[in-house]
Amino acid sequence: MINYRIIVQILGILLILEGFFILLSAFVAWLYPEGGELPMVVSAGITTAAGTIAWLSTRNCKRDLGKREGYFIVSLGWLMFSLFGSLPFLLSGAIPSFTDAFFETISGFTTTGATILNDIEAMPHGLLFWRSLTQWLGGMGIIVLTLAILPLLGVGGMQLFIAEVPGVTYDKLHPRIKETAKRLWAIYIIFTVSEAILLALGGMEVFDAVCHSFTTMSTGGYSTKQASIAHWDSPFIQYVITMFMFLGGTNFTLSYFALHLRFGKIFRHEEFRFYCGVVLVFTLIITSGLYFTVPSGIEKSFREAVFQVISILTTTGYVTADYMTWLPFLTVLIFILMFFGGSAGSTGGGVKIVRILLLLKNSFLEIKRLLHPSAVIPVRYNQKPVSSQIMSNILAFAVLYLIIAVISVAVMSAIGYDLDTSFGAVAASLGNIGPGIGAVGPAFTYSHIPGIGKWFLCILMLIGRLELFTVLMLFSPGFYRK
Amino acid sequence: MRIIVAGAGEVGSHLAKMLSQENHDIVVIDPNENLLKSIDSSLDILSVTGSATSIATLEEANVRKCDLFIAVAHLEDTNLTACILAKKLGVKKTIARIDNQEYLLPNNKEFFKSLGIDHLIYPEKIAAREVVGLLNQTGTSEFFDFSGGRLSLFVIRLDENAPVIDKTLVEAAGVRAELDFRAVAITRDEGTIIPGGQDKFMAGDMVYVISNRKGVSDLMKYSGKESFEIHNMIIVGGSRIGLRTAKDLEHQINVKLIEIDRDKGFRLAGLLDNTLVIHGDGRNINLLLEEGLKNMDAFVAVTGNSEANILSCMLAKRMGVRKTIAEIENLNYIEMAERMGIDAVINKKLITASRISRFTMSAEVSTIKCLTGTDAEVLEFVVKPGARATKSLIRDMEFPKDSIIGGVVRGDKAFIAKGDTQIEPNDHVVVFALPGAIGRIDDFFN
Repeated sequence: MINYRIIVQILGILLILEGFFILLSAFVAWLYPEGGELPMVVSAGITTAAGTIAWLSTRNCKRDLGKREGYFIVSLGWLMFSLFGSLPFLLSGAIPSFTDAFFETISGFTTTGATILNDIEAMPHGLLFWRSLTQWLGGMGIIVLTLAILPLLGVGGMQLFIAEVPGVTYDKLHPRIKETAKRLWAIYIIFTVSEAILLALGGMEVFDAVCHSFTTMSTGGYSTKQASIAHWDSPFIQYVITMFMFLGGTNFTLSYFALHLRFGKIFRHEEFRFYCGVVLVFTLIITSGLYFTVPSGIEKSFREAVFQVISILTTTGYVTADYMTWLPFLTVLIFILMFFGGSAGSTGGGVKIVRILLLLKNSFLEIKRLLHPSAVIPVRYNQKPVSSQIMSNILAFAVLYLIIAVISVAVMSAIGYDLDTSFGAVAASLGNIGPGIGAVGPAFTYSHIPGIGKWFLCILMLIGRLELFTVLMLFSPGFYRK
Repeated sequence: MRIIVAGAGEVGSHLAKMLSQENHDIVVIDPNENLLKSIDSSLDILSVTGSATSIATLEEANVRKCDLFIAVAHLEDTNLTACILAKKLGVKKTIARIDNQEYLLPNNKEFFKSLGIDHLIYPEKIAAREVVGLLNQTGTSEFFDFSGGRLSLFVIRLDENAPVIDKTLVEAAGVRAELDFRAVAITRDEGTIIPGGQDKFMAGDMVYVISNRKGVSDLMKYSGKESFEIHNMIIVGGSRIGLRTAKDLEHQINVKLIEIDRDKGFRLAGLLDNTLVIHGDGRNINLLLEEGLKNMDAFVAVTGNSEANILSCMLAKRMGVRKTIAEIENLNYIEMAERMGIDAVINKKLITASRISRFTMSAEVSTIKCLTGTDAEVLEFVVKPGARATKSLIRDMEFPKDSIIGGVVRGDKAFIAKGDTQIEPNDHVVVFALPGAIGRIDDFFN
């Protein structure tokens, strides 16, 4: 039997936490002359009140939290966060439609970065800050954050952690999940602060530097400018962001080792090597493609290529160049990258590099297996054989990802979009990237999509962020069977 | 405290669970990935796949920063090697589980210390000692001495006709004011509670009582549980526990030991001078009747198979044996078995855990006993001068809710703790605690 009371209680705690962050944004709004803090304070009040009621009404619940409750809390938690997180946009009137506000918020929390705003600069600072903050919170995960700072979630923290950070295998940095969560957040904060400082040194205003470091480290991609990073024509800023996007798409466990100067482990890590390899190969091809077709010099070609490659690969979604205007071959390369995603244990979305790597290995080994029917040929990853259970999980993930993508493309084209746009919108939402191709390419926004289409994409973003199984499980009848 | 548990078998996983609930940081090492997966998904611990005797694996478990290393793998040699390696790599304290009586000899202690093994535990030997203790106290299913017997903890199961049923604790104490005892805990269907003065006794309760030597026999009589002498007994299963029990008892009582394996039986017969070793199946009723089951006072089933032990004990009970003891390794069966009428249960995991949790406390603890049938523990603390417990009366101490002070031993005298008792330095204090409270009571005596 599912313990619904503890679900309500933990959701309550999550909302109280969210209320605090909205209040923080209200404070930022208050710092600027155009103001707009009042609707945000009201939003914070509503959120905190709802959280407190949920928390108090279930104070004496049983403290047992199993797998089912974990999956429930994580899926519902993200929905509730997006629902209440859209209040500041709605109440301030900046985004009057509920559909649009919800889309913008869930796109933030899932670090997708798909926006419906056609004039970002017109937004007050407070809302822009909140918009960036949603991505920062969503990047490392709201549950992981809660685990790190609230001792209340000690019960069954492991279940919640697995449900939010599903991955293929998970590495713990410390025997206690709470300590692991703390360390992950500490690295995340260190990176964010360093990036903000570097960007400010590079000539960005402090506000923009902070907002962009929030959305870079979370591989989110919300910018405070309509033209995204192209707004700043500074190679320094673009290289800094490229570097931190790369870090955001790297397994944070490896970053932890790097900060402890244990580099041997990093360079031997197969996923990391493959990740670097993909970046290198795609950057080289696109750089040479651009160099010979767009006359702008080798440095600019390289900068645009590496920025776009890393931005799409890590599912960040910043742009400094409209890849839709490139050679079709180069655009297709970018489209292929949309299905890769970041490393496991990073803030990036998508299929995840490790899955692609293992799928490739498994497929090639299958040929060998056909030649030697009785040979025992396991897939090896970091020198260790991968159990067939994990392999079958990855295969199931890949098949489900494809099925969902195909059905979604059909749905989008039924709404009335051409093949390019349908593919682009689905790949960009399911992979939590942001800009897609076609009519949702880097030069456009998602505002023209009709309501039903937006809601559909919202679901895709959530499914993609929680790596399919966590959300899909809630729709399987076996989940509720006693 | 950072603790590494090497071996994720039954004992290892129980230890990991218990210690992580007591808020220690636990790393479990085992070469078997499937064993680790099952505990990793349910407990807040870190698991490392690999052999505990591999230096690389130990390094991966961050052995240098570890405070306590517990080796409880199946093989004794693995445990000894792992402890020696771990100690040299920087662990503060090591404990190895062993299978060999010889290692425990007092003059070997220094030898093992110099090797890097600080403590040895031999669960089967402790289990055998526990069986012997239970056979001496036939009225209770659990019996434990503190401070050399000055205080004792024992369990009384309340039958329908017990005189205290439906009385509150205060009323029950008033009926026989001359009895000096304290009921520290009651286990019933909902779990274990620490009773207050207004809680009522109910039929079927397992009441944990702390009393002094004289109080024990009086109380047993009062609750309708009289002790009796044991003259004849049967042990089923020539396991290490069976062998040690027989060895300890064979000169005082008439012991028959039934072993299913002929060769093993032959070897046992060579080791035991005064015990009749019988080759046969302990579940075979004809064999048992032939060997005089009806005239037996006690029946101890310690085969490796928990189910067989339960069944043969129930059989013996039906044939009129007054005291039955079963070794049950599956923790979930324990409560059920006690309900079905088996008088006492032996569990190696709990025994090992009792021994080991002592090393995780910062205060000086002279004994710890993990109880069967509940996850509570009873601890005997030595009160340090200046400790918080000496500053006020027990009543004013704000002692954690899920724990209770049962008794105090001062020098030769033992008395039962009351609200107005004042604890003094160097007292031995017996405390009953549920798992959540164990970490907090430490401070009171340190």
